[in-house]
Amino acid sequence: MQAQAIKRRVRAAVAILPLLLMATTLSAQNSPGSSEYLIKAGFIYNFANLVQWPAASFAQPESPIVIVILGEDHFGATLDRALDGKKVNARSFVIKRARSIPELQRTLGSQKDCQILYVSSSEMPHLGEAIQLLKGVPVLTIGETPGFARNGGIINLILEDNKVRFEVNVQAAKDAELNISSRLLALARIIQPPEGR
Amino acid sequence: MQTTRYQHKGLRSLTQTLLVIGLTALFVMAASAQNNVFDPTTMSVEDLMNMQVTSVSKRTQKVADAAAAVYVITQEDIRRSGATNIPEALRLAPGIQVARIDENKWAISSRGFNGRFADKLLVLIDGRSVYTPLFSGVYWNVQDVMLEDVDRIEVIRGPGATLWGANAVNGVINIITKSAKSTQAGLATAGGGNELRGFSNLRYGGTVNQNAYYRGYAKYFNVGSSSDPLGRNGTDNWDALRGGFRGDWNPTGPDSITLQGDMYRSHYGELLTIPQLNAPYSSTFPNAGAISGGNILGRWAHDFGNSSTSLQVYFDHTNISENSLFADHQNIIDIDFQHSFHLTDSQAVIWGAGYRSIGDDNQSSFTVSLQPTHSMLNQFSGFAQDEISLFDKRVQLTIGSKLEHNDFTGLEVEPNARVLWNVTPNQSVWTAVSRAVRTPALTERGLQLVSAVIPPGGPGNPTPFAAEADVYGSKQFQSEDLLAYEVGYRVQVSNNMSADIATFYNNYTHLRSAEEGAPFVQTDPAPLHLVVPFVASNKMHGGTYGAEVFTEYKIIPRWKMAASYSYLQMDILKDTTSTDPTPDNPNMSSPRHQFYVRSSLDVFRHLEHDLTVRYVDNLPGLSIPNYYSVDTHFSYALPRSFELSIGSQNLLNHQHLEFVPDFINISPTQVKRSIYGSITWHSE
Repeated sequence: MQAQAIKRRVRAAVAILPLLLMATTLSAQNSPGSSEYLIKAGFIYNFANLVQWPAASFAQPESPIVIVILGEDHFGATLDRALDGKKVNARSFVIKRARSIPELQRTLGSQKDCQILYVSSSEMPHLGEAIQLLKGVPVLTIGETPGFARNGGIINLILEDNKVRFEVNVQAAKDAELNISSRLLALARIIQPPEGR
Repeated sequence: MQTTRYQHKGLRSLTQTLLVIGLTALFVMAASAQNNVFDPTTMSVEDLMNMQVTSVSKRTQKVADAAAAVYVITQEDIRRSGATNIPEALRLAPGIQVARIDENKWAISSRGFNGRFADKLLVLIDGRSVYTPLFSGVYWNVQDVMLEDVDRIEVIRGPGATLWGANAVNGVINIITKSAKSTQAGLATAGGGNELRGFSNLRYGGTVNQNAYYRGYAKYFNVGSSSDPLGRNGTDNWDALRGGFRGDWNPTGPDSITLQGDMYRSHYGELLTIPQLNAPYSSTFPNAGAISGGNILGRWAHDFGNSSTSLQVYFDHTNISENSLFADHQNIIDIDFQHSFHLTDSQAVIWGAGYRSIGDDNQSSFTVSLQPTHSMLNQFSGFAQDEISLFDKRVQLTIGSKLEHNDFTGLEVEPNARVLWNVTPNQSVWTAVSRAVRTPALTERGLQLVSAVIPPGGPGNPTPFAAEADVYGSKQFQSEDLLAYEVGYRVQVSNNMSADIATFYNNYTHLRSAEEGAPFVQTDPAPLHLVVPFVASNKMHGGTYGAEVFTEYKIIPRWKMAASYSYLQMDILKDTTSTDPTPDNPNMSSPRHQFYVRSSLDVFRHLEHDLTVRYVDNLPGLSIPNYYSVDTHFSYALPRSFELSIGSQNLLNHQHLEFVPDFINISPTQVKRSIYGSITWHSE
């Protein structure tokens, strides 16, 4: 008898759950980290290790590598936590965020001190503007949207069969005066820019 | 009374198992004391690219992060094992019980209750459920794919009902093929041997434009017959022809669209014994069957950035025609919608809704008949699950439930709660409590099966008339219920060694029994005879418990060893009110002990060698003795993208039986020593 009553109550509670969740969907706006972004954080660290910036990119030998996340930030605290205390050739990491191009402009200031620009899918339509803004500054652009590398981005992280793969636009890297290690290129899918670019 | 008795026994064993695990965990923790959360910066690009992710939670996830007993069979595992069909590939998963009945039939189950009509395992191919509503099981002889195009097979032991619904009671098998983009080459394989007489696989992949890819395939094989325990020819030949396609389209932006389909036709034989009302009261003869069908599936996924949706629709048609027994035509339409999003920084929610329509038409024989001959069933379902990260993402709590409505038993609720604790970056402990149901199959509601005819004056029949022992379905048949408790532990002992332990205690109620009814006289069909009915009912219950252990060790980069052991104890009892005449604990058709040891060695650059030793305990209920099987596979890479492969199975003994089928009296046949060779060519 009692078991019946409990069962009924559980059923009622469970029946309400989807409704509650549906209602909250509408108000949900946050975008935190997941295992996908933990893996992507690992990639970013490896890229920092296997890409060579021109010496003039940094004010001092110990100047940090500045990463700017442009647009919707899916990493949450994942990237900060993964890179906290980590160093590449005596350089630590600084992570900044800019939700839009104007904000990116403000964040960078006139110094334009930025080595890695991570372009979230949400800012993909403004990729051209971002590249224009950073013209002449050796910046490694990393994206996560189909077509990113083909449209002038340097490295594009793609999900394929539930694994993270990456494409490299070698010409764009050359244009940005970046030297990508052959070890990395061997694992990459090489993207040729369209004719006339 | 009986319930409490066995529960205590079950719980005591569970406590012991937990204690052992706890102590082991403590020991390993002490041995490899490390700290903090999983650190991706310690991994190389190659490692990161190889991170295996799964869909236990229907969202991308690493195996080590799943609060369930998951094992992933990779493409590499399948290729290196030399498996030539899906049942053989499933032998690679720890704890799965795979037994060959004859050359074209299998009994496959997880955590017990094995049989040709095993009904507690859900199987999906690219998101399409392939279980038959006839008996809630799988016709393994038509479930096939181009094995070279399989990306992975996810094997989940234990209930997955919250996400996958009824039938995902004791396990879920998810066969996932590669995207068309990943199969952008031609491939041709041809080969043959003493058992698998001949086979040929062809695939071609191409590009429409930089966002759209396709592939098409065709395969054929022909398997010879084996002999039954009496030395008779089992006439269990089997051949199948199959073809299909897949197209993947990723227009720039957040959408991706998949369209895929298959068509097949399979002919098979068997040595069938059916009862008769006249002397000699049974007849044994070579019988033939054919199954053909086709399916088409479309999936549209959209990524909104912080949330994503997917809509999947498929149509599946099956034609079964088993001479002298049964014919059936089925049409299934299935629609599934899912939405996942992040509720807060630490909460990921996924919910969905689905509809499934099943149309069935069948034709009967003296032995098997199913009522009604036409039926149309509708199923509606919805589910929601919330994944909550706690304590700096070191603990993950997952709660959710499925609600399902079917025409037979109405609303079914299948909730679960799971907790995963990443104790250190290299160790995790998980536990889960879940409820699952198995809803009635068409046969359990409307079957009439003449399982035997006892001659007049024969044992148990003193009358001058023949007596039929008939199995009947019943409109009163309800769902079988499971409440499952699981605990597991995973550890990455070092860079080259890992281990995975899963334990479970399953408490079943309302299991199917066959209640003996009052005998009656029947005049049609003639001659006048007695009928002793055994009616499907839900008067059995009980507990099962067990453990599955898997460990992998990379001795050197070129040499990998894997070992698995699984233990299963089943205590199934009849309710006190049951009149089922079968003895207590009737389900002795699953092995108590199973283990395997597998070696994968790259002998030199172009030569790979794999060796598997398997042990399967005896099946006392079926009088099947225990057996060892040794399987080997060599693969040699030739120049110009050719590959030569030689596989052999059951090297040790000349022949052995693995199973005896239930319900329909088909002669099981011997698994023989077999060998095959093949040559494969890849374009590139």
